[in-house]
Amino acid sequence: MNMKEGPQPIVEAVNVHKYFHDNHVLRGVNLSIHEREVIVICGPSGSGKSTFLRCLNHLEKIDDGRIRVCGHYVGYTERKDGHLVELRESEVAKQRLSTGMVFQHFDLFPHLTALENITVAPIYVLKQSEKDAKDEAHRLLKRVGLSEKADHYPGQLSGGQKQRVAIARALAMNPRVMLFDEPTSALDPEMIGEVLDVMLDLSKQGITMIVVSHEMGFARAAAQRVAFMEAGTIIEEASPAEFFDSPKSERLQQFLRKIL
Amino acid sequence: MKAWDWESFFEYLFSPYLLEGVWVTIWLTAASLLIGLVCGLIAALLRISKNPVLQMPARLYIWIWRGTPLLVQLIILYTGLPQIGIRLSVIQSALIGLGVNEGAYLSEIIRAGIMSVDRGQFNAARALGMNYRVMMRRIILPQAARIIVPELGNRFNGLLKFSSLASVISLEELMRRAQMLTQAKFRVLEIFFVASIYYLILTTIWGIAQARIEDYFERGYSQKNSGKTKRLVRAA
Repeated sequence: MNMKEGPQPIVEAVNVHKYFHDNHVLRGVNLSIHEREVIVICGPSGSGKSTFLRCLNHLEKIDDGRIRVCGHYVGYTERKDGHLVELRESEVAKQRLSTGMVFQHFDLFPHLTALENITVAPIYVLKQSEKDAKDEAHRLLKRVGLSEKADHYPGQLSGGQKQRVAIARALAMNPRVMLFDEPTSALDPEMIGEVLDVMLDLSKQGITMIVVSHEMGFARAAAQRVAFMEAGTIIEEASPAEFFDSPKSERLQQFLRKIL
Repeated sequence: MKAWDWESFFEYLFSPYLLEGVWVTIWLTAASLLIGLVCGLIAALLRISKNPVLQMPARLYIWIWRGTPLLVQLIILYTGLPQIGIRLSVIQSALIGLGVNEGAYLSEIIRAGIMSVDRGQFNAARALGMNYRVMMRRIILPQAARIIVPELGNRFNGLLKFSSLASVISLEELMRRAQMLTQAKFRVLEIFFVASIYYLILTTIWGIAQARIEDYFERGYSQKNSGKTKRLVRAA
């Protein structure tokens, strides 16, 4: 495996189970991700990939297993006797500062301009001054190529532009891990490239990225590892070269035949 | 007695006595709406909480205050409560009566507004590390306002008129002043016509203000096109 090794994984999921009522969506997911690593998770719809991603920042609660992000247990704190105690929502909110998330449907705040979308959390959560937050936001907008859209509302932006603002919005909080939940799946084909370019750029700067996506070109270009998830477990994970050119499991071979 | 006395009519139209009543109507309505908003917001947030212990008082409040007439509530507050030792002034009774009653209706409007906000907004706000208070204050409620404000505007219009019920507990707003004037001057039709004109002026001015406020909350949602297109977008 071709992985950037670190002393301790920055994200560690052990035996993660999750149920939606009777539906056993995650059936024992194990995954370790190291700092500065880019991993792409792919798989058929319904496999639980998005659900798993949402468990990493406690937007979904797990029913069994453990998830640690930057050393802390997501959603829980460890008491001295070793027991895990559920955290209050306000404490979970603080935990979420280590991760940033980009959503399939962008989920920009429609009543705020692009600039305000990016500054709202730094100002009201991190208590940054308005000036500092705005300066940083302009810097981020420039980085994603949208300086001139600072005062536009999301309703006036194209899908690709919205997603790039969403990426800037997540980056403004200085997360240690960026989570991408099918970031280009809701985009028209001609706009996918501009978003993937931004993501490729990010990967080169050493940001830890966990990307749920079907964009195989991006996986080849940016990822150190690709994981295949189906029916709630990770079937196979390997470097992009091994993953695409010599898949080991039958189900992965079937999946690749369908999408490539 | 003349059928209609134009001289009296114009005298009452500019009567300071009635105009003072109009002023009371205005601030009574505004204050009651504010009280109603506070009660309604609290009740709405309790009502949507996942904790049944928190939901109960809200449901009880909404059920009782929407299920009994405002007139009865006002009379109980001012005339009934003294019997068990609680003496409220006329103004206190009017404000509490109108405000708390309005809150029960507003809570359902606010709740509907909050539920109308896309789930993704909650996720995006949480993912950015916002706690409940910041999320509601900066992200959810401003968007819920888009749904709530038009209905709030209608409620204000209604309150302007329902404030006249406070006359029953002798608060000297417009209706009560008009009544008292007829007892002195007897020109019933002229006086109440004037009162109606004042109410109409108030509700009309409010209608214009409401349109402006709605426009403010619509910003970012409709393109800045000609007025005609905007109307079409809203009808859809």
